[in-house]
This record gives sequence, structure tokens and C-alpha cells, in this order.
Amino acid sequence: MRIILLIGLLSLSLFAKEVDLPVELNAWKSLSYVGAAKSADELLNASLTLNNASYVGLINTPKIKYVTKPFNEGGTVSYGGIFEIKIPQSGIYRVVLGNASWIDLVKDGKAAKSIAHNGGPQNSGIRKMVDYPLEAGIYTLQLSAGADSTTAILVTKIK
Amino acid sequence: MITNMNWIYRVAILLLVFMPDLYSQSMQSSDPKVELGRYLFYNADLSINGTMACATCHEQRRAFCDGNRVHPGALDDSGKRNVPTLANVSKFKNLTWAHNHLSGLAEQSLAPIRGTDPIEMGMNGHEDEIAKRLSQNECYQKLFARAFPEQKGVITLSTVTQALESFEKTLISDNSLYDQKMKAHKPLPTKEAQAGEKLFFKTAKCNTCHTAPLFSDDAFHQIEPEHQVVYNGMIDNGLSDVTANQKDKNFFRTPSLRNVFLSYPYWHDGSAATLFEAIRKHNLNINHTLSKREINQIIAFLKTLTDNTFITDPQFGKPSIECK
Repeated sequence: MRIILLIGLLSLSLFAKEVDLPVELNAWKSLSYVGAAKSADELLNASLTLNNASYVGLINTPKIKYVTKPFNEGGTVSYGGIFEIKIPQSGIYRVVLGNASWIDLVKDGKAAKSIAHNGGPQNSGIRKMVDYPLEAGIYTLQLSAGADSTTAILVTKIK
Repeated sequence: MITNMNWIYRVAILLLVFMPDLYSQSMQSSDPKVELGRYLFYNADLSINGTMACATCHEQRRAFCDGNRVHPGALDDSGKRNVPTLANVSKFKNLTWAHNHLSGLAEQSLAPIRGTDPIEMGMNGHEDEIAKRLSQNECYQKLFARAFPEQKGVITLSTVTQALESFEKTLISDNSLYDQKMKAHKPLPTKEAQAGEKLFFKTAKCNTCHTAPLFSDDAFHQIEPEHQVVYNGMIDNGLSDVTANQKDKNFFRTPSLRNVFLSYPYWHDGSAATLFEAIRKHNLNINHTLSKREINQIIAFLKTLTDNTFITDPQFGKPSIECK
């Protein structure tokens, strides 16, 4: 498992270095591993850091107890997970993702509404980018309906 | 006494007027096939990797469209056509953008589930996996037993698609502001919408193809004969891809305009980002060039076709209780 993760990290890093990314996506080039939480109780060990890209391990969907029910929870053979992230100030934030998982950013039981969706630059390893207007605070970031047991994620402030 | 009789008559008339609607609503909530179909519509186990349900592309809040130009499949294959609305889909003889011999919604649902042009839910060759996954779930076993007692609740691709058809038949949109005003024989609320209505039905002749009340004539038309349609590397010849008849090349079914304000982007390939662009894209000979003001008036009219009941009715939404 460790070897697979290392190979994954290495290949993603190498992959990203071949591409000229916009300044706000520079952090995508170096990844650290974070395992997803299965429920809110495990969130302390599943923290993402703003502007730091993470290579994340996901969990088979039936084992996850989401904080808020995702619109697209995914089937029994899909993957997802729960993370926590601190948003220090209000603004527009971008969630950058290596696969096409459904993203929910939840605070006080409510999921933030996205304002823009895009794909990533070609050959960057970025599958989707979604922008949200967020207030300062601690958010639960839920990934659901993913095809893979691992992916990469970056949350960054763009405005 | 006469006054009392009048009151009774009024109640009786009201009951007669509203009875069909109430009856249809009670049928919706109690029909086991509809209930099962609704669960299946929101179930991503109908896709190869569990990432995509029917509702992934057909979102209720967007009038059962998805807001993307085209939607990639579960395995990230490129989409081919813009997601069409499911409003009143059971009223159409021709289903999808360009097909003229599908037997019904059950057969149509096989296209996204196991179709290969394009690959959407990716189940081609893996159809048995659907029954296998659903059979492991006690809740689904019960739902199928209730929905198909004559078949002893057997879970097959056939019973899955029959249930999906039953749910999709309930997706009726007929309570827009336009419908309300028509029923009450009252004009639309703004001068702009009234002017747009006049243009739509008379001067601009939009109603010729976008025929009320479906706001589609359910027929195929060649709107852009001069273009070879290529998007995401996918060639789309429209109806001729199905009929193999060159005369049908670039023919597409008229889309319904109900809830059109919510169903952006437009055109069979999603190439028109706004309603303004979509109207301008029509290459029609109506002996009248629409001004910018007139197009905006038509848009004001089209906004009155938004049915808020349809996009918020909980009977069409994701079931609040999970099937586990």
C-alpha cells in the first residue's frame, strides 16, 4: 500500500511539473498525504491546509457517514470521504480536484453554493475546479461519488 | 335554501375541477413502480463505477438538465449532446434529440445505461452487475417485490427500466406562470412578456415548431444545414445516425421550451450559452429580422414558462429516506 501511495505521489508530482500552471495553482506541484475521515468523529485526523495540495486516500461509500447528505452520494462501488479545512477570511475559494468526485463544502449544516465549474489545464492532472464564495470559519469538505480510492485536492483563495 | 344550493353547486364544481389533479397526485405517491423508479433514478449503482445516477445529469432544480454544455460519462468519456429536459417527456412520441423509433422511456433509458455512442453510465457488457448490486440490498428487494408482484419481484434490467419509465411519466410540468394566466384567461404580467408572447405566436412564428402546450412539435428539423457538427471530437449527424438516411442529416427534434430559462446552455450540442444566442442561432426564413429588443421580449415571454412547482415538488426529488 505504502509503495503504491509513493508511486502515486511521485507520478502526480512529476506529471504536474511538466505543465505551466497559473500562479494560484502552484501548490498543486507538491503533495502531502491525508487520509479521509469516515464520519465527523474522525475529522481531527483529516485536516486539509489552505494552499497545500494533498494526495488523499478515500473510503468505499457504504462505510461513510456524511455530515450532510450529498446530492450525489455515489453507488456502493464508489469512493468518498470527509475532511476539515479552516477558511481564514471571506472570499472566493477554488477547490481543485484530481478526479470528478462530487464536492460539498459544509458549514453549520449547510452546503455552500458553487459559482463556477471548470476543467483543469491540459495534462495537469486536474480533473475539475469548482469556485465557492465562503465566509471565514471551519468547513467540512465532503467528496462523494468518486471513481477512485485516491485523488489529489487543493483548496486555494482566488479573490 | 337557494343560497345553500348555490354553495353546494360551487363546492361540487370545485371538486370536479380539481379531482383529476388530486387523483393523479395520489397515484404518484402510492404506485410502487413509481416509488421504485424514483429510487433508481437517484441511484448511482446504475453506472459502472457508482459515480453516476440518472439524476447526475437530470437535476430537478435545473428542470432535469445539468447546466453543462455536454456531460462526460462515468468513465470520463466525452459527452455528445446537451442534456435534454425531462419535463413532460412521456408526452413525446420521439425521444432524445435525434431518435424516431424508440418504443418508450424504458427502451430509451438503455441508451445512457449501456449505450456506447457516447459511453455514459458505462454498463455495456456489465448489465448483470446492476441486478447483482440491487439484489444485495434488502430495501430494493422489497421495492421490487411490491412493484412487480406478478414477476415475483425479479430484479432485471427490464424491471429496472420499466420502473424508471413509470417515474419519468410522472414528471409533468404544467403550472408555469404562462399556464396559470392561460387557465385564468388573464394576460401575462408585464408589457415585455406580452409583446414577447405576440412575437412568439405571430410575427416570429416560433410556435410553428415550438408548438404549445408542449412548446415542441415533436418533429425533426434541420436548423443549421451548413454546419458539420463536431464537438469534443465527436461527429453528430443527428437523425441520420439512427436512420442511415442522408436526407435526415443534421435533423434534430425540436426541444421543448418549458422551463427553458433554467435549462441553459442550449442547442443539441450546448453551443448556445444564452437564450439570446440560441434565438439568434435560428437560421429561419420568417421574412422578419428580429431586433435586439424583440429578442429580449421573446426571452421575457419564455421566462413565464418556468414552472416552480415542477422544480421543487418533493415527489420528483431525491427520496429523503435512503434505501438501505
